[in-house]
Amino acid sequence: MITVRIPTPLRTVTGGQSEVQVEGSTVSEMIEKLAEVHPGIKERLYDERGEVRRFINIYVNEEDIRFLTGKDTPLKDGDEVSIVPAIAGGG
Amino acid sequence: MQSANPALTIPHTIWNEMIAHAKECAPHECCGMLAGTDGTVLAHYRITNILQNLTDQELSRFDGAKLRDLQCLLPEERADIAFQMDAREMALAQKDIRAKGFQLQAFYHSHTSSPARPSQTDITIAMEFESYREKLGIPQPLHIIISLADEDRPDIKAFRIADHASVEVPLACEGK
Ligand SMILES: [Zn+2]
Repeated sequence: MITVRIPTPLRTVTGGQSEVQVEGSTVSEMIEKLAEVHPGIKERLYDERGEVRRFINIYVNEEDIRFLTGKDTPLKDGDEVSIVPAIAGGG
Repeated sequence: MQSANPALTIPHTIWNEMIAHAKECAPHECCGMLAGTDGTVLAHYRITNILQNLTDQELSRFDGAKLRDLQCLLPEERADIAFQMDAREMALAQKDIRAKGFQLQAFYHSHTSSPARPSQTDITIAMEFESYREKLGIPQPLHIIISLADEDRPDIKAFRIADHASVEVPLACEGK
């Protein structure tokens, strides 16, 4: 099982859960499985070209998947994935 | 801007670089990160404000009041009142910070026409970051605001944001 940490703005899609357990051998497979249980999450993470949105980081055990092998980054049992929107602010 | 017990000491060169960054980006808000060790800044990272590239759906990460203000503006005007850091650049900076053996000391952004204090949106999103920061092994950063409201005298102030409130902390600029 993979533990996925869900940021506050995405918890509307996960029924308020801050952590969910899901299976998957790659990040992309894990997100597909996550979307089966929590419809809508994929659209929040990926843009229309299927890339991770430019304001979102997906970390596998503290390393951003952009510096691993992106959505093909392999996952193993016990891995922790954190979905983190980059800092923003207004005025 | 000297203090006996500053929460953060910023070298004069980096202090000026932040002001230069804010002025270059105006009327858009600029944003960036400061890293170092033991309350002393040793590295400065400019991060691109990608707000104007966000789609209407992506803007929904902002709270209701700010979202309504943003929706009234053209995409190219939206960065005048808000910022969104580019996630890739932010992760690259974090990687460099780790490689150098530094820690994140502060996030900064500019207010082009309002005073140097956090807005409600700044506080809400900083608290959102607080909710997972520790699990990512990142120390609690300060939030620095560069105000260009007085064009001739840019104002830089630092805040600690916790429990949905902000408290100003003293900054020192070293090596003038
Ligand atoms: Zn602000």
